[in-house]
Amino acid sequence: MTIDLDPTPSDAPIDGHDGTVVTAPTPGGAAVSLRDVSVTFGKHRVVRDVTLDLAPKRVTALVGPSGCGKTTILRTINRLHDDTGGRVSGRVTVGDLDVYARDTRPELVRSRVGMVFQRPNPFPTMSIFDNAVAGLRLNGVRNKKVLREAAEAALHHAALWDLVKDRLSAPALKLSGGQQQRLCIARALAVEPEVLLMDEPCSALDPIATAKIEELITHLASEVTIGLVTHNMFQATRVSHVTAVFLLGEDRATGELVEVGPTAQIFDRPADARTLAYVSGQVG
Amino acid sequence: MTTLLEEVPPPLAPVPGVARALRRRRRRPGGRLYAVLRIGGALVFGAVVVALVTTLVSGSSQAFGHFGPSLLWSGTYNVTKDQYPTGVFIVGTLVTTAVALVLAVAVGVATAAFLSELAPRAVAAPLSVAVDLIAAVPSIVVGLWGLLVLSPAFAHHVEPFLKRVPVLEWLLHGPALGPSMLLAGVVLAVMILPTVVALSRTAMAGVDVADREAARALGATRWQVVRTAVIPGARSGIEASVTLGMGRAMGETIAVAMVIGNTYTIPHSLLAPGATLGSAVINNFGEANPGLDRSAVVALVLVLVAITALVNVGGQLLLRARARATRT
Amino acid sequence: MTALAPGPGAPTDAIGVRRAFVRERARRSLVRRRLASRAALVVCAGALAASLAPLVGLVAYTVGRGWPVLDGAFLTHEPTPPGVPGGGIANAIVGSVVIVALGAAMAVPVGVAAAMFLLERRGRIATTLRFCADVLTGVPSIAIGIVAYDLLIAPGGLLSLGHYSGLSGSVALAVLMLPIVVRASEAAMAAVPAELREAGLALGVRRSRVMRSVVLRGALAGLVTGNLLAVARAVGETAPLLFTAIGSQLFSLDPTQPMAAMPLVIYNDGTQPFPAAQQIAWGTALVLLALVLVLSVTARAAAARLNRRAR
Repeated sequence: MTIDLDPTPSDAPIDGHDGTVVTAPTPGGAAVSLRDVSVTFGKHRVVRDVTLDLAPKRVTALVGPSGCGKTTILRTINRLHDDTGGRVSGRVTVGDLDVYARDTRPELVRSRVGMVFQRPNPFPTMSIFDNAVAGLRLNGVRNKKVLREAAEAALHHAALWDLVKDRLSAPALKLSGGQQQRLCIARALAVEPEVLLMDEPCSALDPIATAKIEELITHLASEVTIGLVTHNMFQATRVSHVTAVFLLGEDRATGELVEVGPTAQIFDRPADARTLAYVSGQVG
Repeated sequence: MTTLLEEVPPPLAPVPGVARALRRRRRRPGGRLYAVLRIGGALVFGAVVVALVTTLVSGSSQAFGHFGPSLLWSGTYNVTKDQYPTGVFIVGTLVTTAVALVLAVAVGVATAAFLSELAPRAVAAPLSVAVDLIAAVPSIVVGLWGLLVLSPAFAHHVEPFLKRVPVLEWLLHGPALGPSMLLAGVVLAVMILPTVVALSRTAMAGVDVADREAARALGATRWQVVRTAVIPGARSGIEASVTLGMGRAMGETIAVAMVIGNTYTIPHSLLAPGATLGSAVINNFGEANPGLDRSAVVALVLVLVAITALVNVGGQLLLRARARATRT
Repeated sequence: MTALAPGPGAPTDAIGVRRAFVRERARRSLVRRRLASRAALVVCAGALAASLAPLVGLVAYTVGRGWPVLDGAFLTHEPTPPGVPGGGIANAIVGSVVIVALGAAMAVPVGVAAAMFLLERRGRIATTLRFCADVLTGVPSIAIGIVAYDLLIAPGGLLSLGHYSGLSGSVALAVLMLPIVVRASEAAMAAVPAELREAGLALGVRRSRVMRSVVLRGALAGLVTGNLLAVARAVGETAPLLFTAIGSQLFSLDPTQPMAAMPLVIYNDGTQPFPAAQQIAWGTALVLLALVLVLSVTARAAAARLNRRAR
């Protein structure tokens, strides 16, 4: 399968400069919306007032130099800041679910929003199969038949099945770095999330593994909403439909969302001068 | 010639006073003294180790010569029949150690999990220090407390209570008189707990944050994170802590001697008094007649040293293997 | 997946069915999982309480039963004959101090010297010595006491005096302290950055001078802590003294004769069925505990002060 370098959305039009997508609710993937989201650690506000949408069936790339809050914002979507002591203000919704509502359970949010991390992190003491179904087991799915079907489906989706189908009980760490990352993607997919968050998933991988995963991402977009943090602008142009640019604000301490729009437009004719400075390499 | 320096340094020439001082210092033989000290220290240390081993071996040789290798497993004491109850003591050591391990590992790993994962940060550090404190208490004081406080408490309250639990009946039959294998096991558990907790806690804290995040991101509850990511990841460290705890339990003599009550037969219940290698040595060496009797006691010491050395070396190797694994 | 039959309004496409299934399972199991998590928290907190209870109980009883016995006379008089009330443990306190001090005087120089050896050499001998030190720390102290007896007291032993003596107890304690001193000293000296040592050597300064000015000074805090902790450990040891110093009822400063020591008093009096003797044991235990505490605190305080001065 070839990689489409300039993916054009095939249905609903992109409306407006802020990248808000107007679509009817689709069965595949949920819309994620952030409104005025800020994250503070102690006294330090890391990122502020982010209003952003992740559209279903699209890959939204969050780009920008390090320290501008891209990863921080991504982690607000699956409430990972609950554990690290970051205070999140604003409103985050995943489909019809208000993520930070008083009676929303973070575990349930996380079973609807999957995450893949910067460095591949399969559970080191588990086999390939156990890793693939770990999420399902943690969420109370015990039926062996169900687990086997789910593992096969997820590993297919991660383009890993042919490689591992004969050694599912081998330790996960026997796989190469790129394969481990695909296993982590399979693990996240097995839980059937509506949103998949990817935090620089290729930064620890070699170029060939990176290319394979980028191809995977473009395939996955049709079923899951994907939010992809990347510091590699070229990667953003290769796989994403929408790009959100994060830069440090005036105070040089707090990150903010500078501009968001269709990827081609962001890199060719950005509306904001700061975006232009960033994509042309003058900044960051 | 132009220069960047503020002043021009004078040409190099020897300063007479300095040269004389250096010559004087080179003549003093201080360096050799240091080498003698170093090597002397190492030699003395080596001599101590050698003396230890040879004394134990030669001291027990008479007994081994007389009883033969059956010295190691015989279960009855009968000098005329050439039987020395080493087997009783070995069983006693193993049983008390087993009781101590069961208790210490269950409580210790759970405590470590609490301190490492579930407790609020501010509280975890001082609590860890508190758990470690009992390691500083001399074993004689623990033994005294065990004998004068725990023993009556066990005889009057704990053991009758435990006897009512149906599952434990086969372990705990017979009268509860106080000094017993169970009590010795409990006292040992108290003493090895800091070892198990400290090492398990280090192992758990060393589990990669990434593994924990992975479990979290899949929707795991806090305990599920501990169960799926932390404890499996810390397993080798926990094993090392168990092994080292076992070594400590086997080697502990004075506290056990005070609470185990001393017999020469293999007990059939944990509530009965028994004897371990260490307690047998303490209780028998004083009255042993010089010659064969005393040699037999020294043989007990040799067996004890051999067993504890093996276990401790095993534990150290496990720790080192783990250190190597986490570095890669 | 066939586990969920679609109801009205439920998604009908394959992905939607699977999603709904997992979501349902997740929600239904969450109550149980959160409960399990909370229960685990309670159990583990209970385990912590169980870990701390012995320490609390031990200190409480030692203080509770030992404090009433402590008075001026207890600390300054020697024991009275059995059955006669009164008396104290002055001989045991002094005896402990003398025996441990002599032991430390033997162990510390040898241990630090051996540590210097380990620091400078790297070969197989050094590895073997280090291994021996590690094994030696785990040797039961009774073994050390028995070996000391065989060598120093039994007739025909290598350096035998022929009778029990405080000095033989000191030797036993010295052997006990030796591996601790060696390992702690080596660690403290190895912590001094190698660059400092090498800089001194490169200037042509003799190894001994480098060791004296650079390494020992830099490692002083660690050395003091390590050695004081070894002494704190030795003060509480009973088994090495049982067949060497053996204890005594008399006040004596002569280490060539049997000598009293606090752990021996605790052992001998505590195992007797008479309350009067047991009370003496508690009092002695309290004094011993206090001494160990003072030594440990001094060790860390001294280290902190020396660290500050070195900086």
